[in-house]
Amino acid sequence: MNDLLLHLVLFVVIGAGIVALAAFYSEPDDAKALRVLPRRFGVFALGCAILAVLLIVAEHTVASVH
Amino acid sequence: MALETGRSGRGDANVAALLTWVIPGAGHVYLGAPLFGIAAFLVITGLYLVGIRLTDGMAFEFLQTDLRSPIAPILTPEVGNLSAVIWHMRTYGFGQPFPRSWPAHIDLGTFLTACSGLLNACLACKAHFDARVPVGMRSKKPSPGLLVLLGWIVPGLGHWIQGRRLRGAIVFVVVAGFVVLGTLLAEGANLDRERHFYYWSGQFLAGAPAWILEVIHGHAFVRADIRYVDAGLAFGGVAGLLNILAWLDLFGVAEREGLEHLEPEAPPVREVAA
Repeated sequence: MNDLLLHLVLFVVIGAGIVALAAFYSEPDDAKALRVLPRRFGVFALGCAILAVLLIVAEHTVASVH
Repeated sequence: MALETGRSGRGDANVAALLTWVIPGAGHVYLGAPLFGIAAFLVITGLYLVGIRLTDGMAFEFLQTDLRSPIAPILTPEVGNLSAVIWHMRTYGFGQPFPRSWPAHIDLGTFLTACSGLLNACLACKAHFDARVPVGMRSKKPSPGLLVLLGWIVPGLGHWIQGRRLRGAIVFVVVAGFVVLGTLLAEGANLDRERHFYYWSGQFLAGAPAWILEVIHGHAFVRADIRYVDAGLAFGGVAGLLNILAWLDLFGVAEREGLEHLEPEAPPVREVAA
């Protein structure tokens, strides 16, 4: 359980970095880039969650060896 | 004074950058600055040749057998100096079909060949900008190539010099922080090009934070299983890739601002005297 928690923390950290620099790249105004960070992070996390669900479903169906 | 003055640039910016990528300095020769082009060629190619000398051309032999192919060096920093990489592959390739020991200074040698590629990428940025500056004019702002070079060595420094200090600080914290965190998670295994060839290539782009940690760590042996090595490699590689994003932002603004702040070049000394 602690391992899962650590992985989630690492995901949040790396995700925050990726979203922050992507926001600064696409938004020339610093204040606006900071303002849109929470929404961008939410979209990023949601996208990753959907991908994770798809991978788990694929693992338990087409990739299952049982 | 901006480009809208009606003066034309010195050449096609994309051609100048492309020529530089293929042969260091060729872009500046094309733009009518042969002395600068030749000097740049000597420095950048010289760096690569010193690297080759220190490694005996064995840098790409770090790659595991199943990853070797004629296009494998495309994902290395050396590809920034295209002609050198092609020559390297044709001359040394992946080495002999029997095991040999690594030369004593192979880590320094591969560092120099990688530096040659990145320096040439910065030179291509400069060639792109120089091509757009009208004849007889020069920019009052720092060259975009120089800012990208500084942003490579110290992540965020280019933004800081541009006056975008909050952005520069955030770039530094994210890029340097990811390298440090990655190194802690991977217990330093991420800093060894021999062990993690492509991850090292990504991490190399994070600049001095990665290089300093590599010098401190000293390529120590791995003596036990490293539990979070994969996470550490991901953080290190992502740090370098995010720095590319920062350079693109830096270059775009630097080129625009540079072309908006032009002044006439100083007249030759003889004209002034007359």
